[in-house]
Amino acid sequence: MIEQLKRELEATFKGVSVTSEADRRITVVVDPLQTIALLRFFKDRGFSHLALLSAVDLIDKHAFELVYILTSYAEDTGEDAVPGELILVVKSMIPRDKPTFKSVINIYPNAEPYEREIHELFGIHFDGHRRLTPLFLERQYPIPPFRKDFDTRRYVEDVFGSIPAIGDEEG
Amino acid sequence: MDRNQIAKWFKEPSKMANKYSLHAIYFCTGCGIIEVPPVITARWDAERFGVIPVATPRQANLFLITGYVSVKTLKAIIRTYEQMYEPKYAVAFGSCPINGGMYWDSYNTIKHLDKYIPIDGWIAGCMPRPEAIFVAVTHLWTLIDKGMANGYERYKKYYRAYRRNQELALGKLEWPPLYPIGEHTEGGECD
Repeated sequence: MIEQLKRELEATFKGVSVTSEADRRITVVVDPLQTIALLRFFKDRGFSHLALLSAVDLIDKHAFELVYILTSYAEDTGEDAVPGELILVVKSMIPRDKPTFKSVINIYPNAEPYEREIHELFGIHFDGHRRLTPLFLERQYPIPPFRKDFDTRRYVEDVFGSIPAIGDEEG
Repeated sequence: MDRNQIAKWFKEPSKMANKYSLHAIYFCTGCGIIEVPPVITARWDAERFGVIPVATPRQANLFLITGYVSVKTLKAIIRTYEQMYEPKYAVAFGSCPINGGMYWDSYNTIKHLDKYIPIDGWIAGCMPRPEAIFVAVTHLWTLIDKGMANGYERYKKYYRAYRRNQELALGKLEWPPLYPIGEHTEGGECD
């Protein structure tokens, strides 16, 4: 099953690397231009569920890595059945100085809150997302707080440390 | 009832009544709420100490903040505290409300809760055992006896400073001040 999928992928997409670290889990690394087509390919193969969309800040490589985890609800019943019980991890790197990517809402509608979250916490813009409004955070931050160059310790000292304690001299 | 306390009952009946019937509102902010169900149910039975959970802040006079306080929950904590009737006692449970605990360098967690609302008692630990709640309750009795559990009076007295700190942390607040900010009330008197 995995071998067949691997052959099919390498025939369809250029420069795709398919590895499998564990049973039932396949990691596909692809360049960002082909990611949307790859996700459509998997959706057509029965991977109908986007389990997670996340981002990793690879500051040493000057890139953000977007991670899509896809699964299928269909059961693995026969040889030509859709690949149930398989977990697909699709990774693609986008440049850190131009953090923009296409929204996958029209492929997986449940990506909407994930993309809002990543936009808020990593500052990655998703083209085609209609509602990139704040989701969790209450305060304004100098840079998005999940980026690796966000100095939490200094931020805490500057913001929460500067709030004075309530003393007897005040009133 | 302890016979030694009969004199106290005659002297300050309202204080004694408050002391032995603490109606607690549990603010389930973090992991500390795990300790609360065994406390209020048969295993440890908080009602032995006169502590009973209530549904809304308007019925409560003990505010138990269990766990870390994020910026967003601070807003709810302030509103809850301001809705409670006086006399009201706030107890912070766990090390996170004291100084941030394991979230001491988190970008989104309030570090010192007593900068925003007055706290009458602290229960240290991560997590404290349910017995610690009872130690805190009995300690709170002593504080109420001595008139030292006066967080609500401090809140009134220093309301301007509390409100300023709340606005520093949360930006502009959506609700009007609980007490008039313009004038300065003297010496913690309350009516």
